[in-house]
Amino acid sequence: MSAYAIELIDVHAAYGGIEVLHGVDLVVPEGALVAMLGPNGAGKSTTLKAIDGRLTPTGGCVHIAGRHMNGASTKQLARAGVCSIPEGRGIFPNLTVEENLRMLTQLHADLPMSEVAERTYARFPILGQRHTQLAGTLSGGEQQMLAMSRALVSDPSVLLVDEPSMGLAPRIVAEVYDVLRQLAAEGITMLLVEQFAQMALSIADYAAVMIQGQIVTFAEPADLGDVAGAYLGASA
Amino acid sequence: MVFPAGTSSEPRTRITLGEFIGLTIAGLALGAIYAIAASGLVVTYTTSRVFNLAHGAIGMVMAFVYWQLRVEQHWNAPLALFVALLLVAPAIGLIIEATLIRRLNPNDTGMALVVTLAVMVALMGIAFTLWPQTKGRLLPVFFGPNAHLSVAGQLITYEELISIALAVATAVGLRLFFFNTRIGIAMRGVVDDRQLMSMNGRSPAMLSALSWAIGAALGGLAGILTASTYQLDIINLTLLVLNSFAAAMLGRLRNLILTFVGAIVLGLLDAYVVGYLKLTGWLVHLRPVLPTLFLFVVLIALPAVHLRSGTAVISRAIRIPAGARSLGNGAALVVLAIVVAPFLHGTVLGNVNAGVALGIGALSIVLLCGYGGYVSLAQYAFFGFGAWLFSEVGHGGNPVGLLVAAAAGAVLGAIVALPALRLRGLELALSTLAFGQLAYYMFFLQPEVMGRSDLAIPRLHLPGISLESGDRNLIFLSIVFALASAGVLALRRSRFGRILVASKDSQVAVATLGLNLRLSKILLFALATALATFGGALYGSTQRLVTADNFQYVSSLFIVLIVYVYGVSTPGAALAGGLSLAIAPLLAVHIPVRFQAVTYFMTGFGAFVLLGRPTGIIPAVSEWLHDRLPRRVMGHTGGPPPVVVPREPSRPTVEVSRAAASDA
Ligand SMILES: Nc1ncnc2c1ncn2[C@@H]1O[C@H](COP(=O)(O)OP(=O)(O)OP(=O)(O)O)[C@@H](O)[C@H]1O
Ligand SMILES: [Mg+2]
Repeated sequence: MSAYAIELIDVHAAYGGIEVLHGVDLVVPEGALVAMLGPNGAGKSTTLKAIDGRLTPTGGCVHIAGRHMNGASTKQLARAGVCSIPEGRGIFPNLTVEENLRMLTQLHADLPMSEVAERTYARFPILGQRHTQLAGTLSGGEQQMLAMSRALVSDPSVLLVDEPSMGLAPRIVAEVYDVLRQLAAEGITMLLVEQFAQMALSIADYAAVMIQGQIVTFAEPADLGDVAGAYLGASA
Repeated sequence: MVFPAGTSSEPRTRITLGEFIGLTIAGLALGAIYAIAASGLVVTYTTSRVFNLAHGAIGMVMAFVYWQLRVEQHWNAPLALFVALLLVAPAIGLIIEATLIRRLNPNDTGMALVVTLAVMVALMGIAFTLWPQTKGRLLPVFFGPNAHLSVAGQLITYEELISIALAVATAVGLRLFFFNTRIGIAMRGVVDDRQLMSMNGRSPAMLSALSWAIGAALGGLAGILTASTYQLDIINLTLLVLNSFAAAMLGRLRNLILTFVGAIVLGLLDAYVVGYLKLTGWLVHLRPVLPTLFLFVVLIALPAVHLRSGTAVISRAIRIPAGARSLGNGAALVVLAIVVAPFLHGTVLGNVNAGVALGIGALSIVLLCGYGGYVSLAQYAFFGFGAWLFSEVGHGGNPVGLLVAAAAGAVLGAIVALPALRLRGLELALSTLAFGQLAYYMFFLQPEVMGRSDLAIPRLHLPGISLESGDRNLIFLSIVFALASAGVLALRRSRFGRILVASKDSQVAVATLGLNLRLSKILLFALATALATFGGALYGSTQRLVTADNFQYVSSLFIVLIVYVYGVSTPGAALAGGLSLAIAPLLAVHIPVRFQAVTYFMTGFGAFVLLGRPTGIIPAVSEWLHDRLPRRVMGHTGGPPPVVVPREPSRPTVEVSRAAASDA
């Protein structure tokens, strides 16, 4: 029984025969927040897909809470407590805010809609004001908040977040990171993908740097120093 | 649906208020049926993004199942309804979804159209087999003959009232379901993001299956109501899909409220036209085409859709033979015809001739659907138009008549292309089906055309060469096919052909490259229609006597399907398809009367081949040969019969076509 919430061992993954992940080794300890950094096209999103079941790895092992999960469906993984917030807002644009929240209750039959709404609107009052608006017409920041509400209400055992700051104004980014920090403080295991490292490193316990489909560095943020600078350029 | 022409009313000069109320109620009742049918279509489309062309056919089958239980088995109405609508219909929907729809790529609208069209034709074939139309069938009314109310002196039957009540119930029920239940909301959301839906713990496949079950039940309800109020007829019930589509188009296939509005307008239109207009003369057949006219108005009035680039799906790789090889294939075909012709006689020879002529016309399908990606379901209308023109101008078989037919076809095609410019794949396909229906009722059935008696068409007469004998005609037709298909292939290799295929991949890309999409689309339609009328003229001159039945609009469905089955990007498929359709009736003689619907089975079930081999049979076979035979023998893309062609450096172009993304 390992103490890792997520453990990837030599994971390979491909899109239509073109391999993108060339043996990824990565661990996320129980209760830790790991930030995964790396340049465009490195395979960060693909790694998340291999964990949440959107993509079946072509080789290697995906362990979640010590259980072998290769080939499990997205739905099974979701039921097992993997909550993934994909790149580019994980929402249903043609449903209203409220209906989007309602979708969150599918997974947890015991979670009443009233509680979902209450928790979300308490954290993001703006969503409460706009509960009948179509999600697709929300601003980018509001959409990201709506997407984050999934993590907020579902008490995941593992949370995967892909570039939550993409396209957002700094003030909104700070707000999003407040939520992530709060979730981390509650002890939720998190794998956070970011291209721009600073924010992510400020809340991470560990940082993993991915280059061309492999993890090249795994360290505590403080020890990352030069490595990150070398790979990630000025933005790190 | 189509009503017996005889029922279109006697002229009325003055209409009382009572009559107006009566007409209105009748119109509302009909609109109610349309509304139920159309909402089923919308439910399926919203959730699975596949337009179910077989929607009417499912309703038709359910009407017959209900008849079987109610009349043949003497079940009582509630039990028969329960079994038909809540067990059999959902089961049919689920089976279709699980075996066919789930395997489709939702971005590949062309394939989705062809597969649901195949389901429609296959269901018709099954119905013709199980419930032969030689026997008249009537469904008892639900409440007995005397169950009616009297309002302002007008009889209003309980049937009419129940239709209206059921439509209201459907509207309220669907509204509550889609906005107040989790699963209903999920069905609306699933098209946004399937993966996100499964992350939320709902299986998208399950949602789509459910939508097909609900859609089938609603289609079934509409079918049974139609059959018990009007008539139990395979083709007319199947075409309920056209009326539903017309209504649903008002809501762009998504908005249920507008769909209901559209349905009611259609129903009232029917009632008032019948009540107030004098449908005589050329207007005799106006009633069955009202939904079609309504559809055209809606399509023209709605704002045009924006170009969409869609998702790239690399799916079809096809070899295009080089020029010399295509001529070689053509020469081989002609040699084959010369060898075979003397051995064919009588009906067989006649049907083979008709098949080759149809093949020439079917080349238009290769152009339009194969290269252009536009599914057209009206080719027989153009065949018939060509045949009729040739009888009008080709006196004594004058070949100028052929040219006139082709030229008129080109003009007609260009005119048709103008409104078609703004349509997406699905709308275009259904509009062409509607156009075919319109042409049949408003043109071919007119007494001056071929509605009253057989139309005599002269056999083509080339200067100095008589084509009177069937075997010579066969050789001549083979030469024409060989030349035409070589021309089609040359077109495909040209710059124009590359533009077509590129625009199939991405209209946006082509438009931004500065290529003139409009012009090339008009040109494509003009060329394809010219080929169709030309082929139709040859078909007419081969048959010598034709009736409107030769150009039944349902035949257009067969020929498109069969060409897809053989390989819609391959000219050889046009010949194979034409021959298959022409020869199928010969088989009918040798099989029990019950299984006469050969053509329906051949094309309907045949098209399921496409799920495994999306490029069709001929390319699949030629790929197979390519892999297995010595290099010398292969290389052709299924021009007609495989032949040994002198080797030349074969550098086939490989066309990788992406799922046409012009639609969603
Ligand atoms: N659906 C797909 N089909 C084919 N290739 C893909 C697909 N998604 C990603 N790729 C390719 O896989 C590689 C890794 O992509 P991925 O999205 O994992 O990168 P990333 O690290 O998340 O980049 P970014 O920071 O830009 O989001 C890229 O080269 C990309 O082009
Ligand atoms: Mg990414």
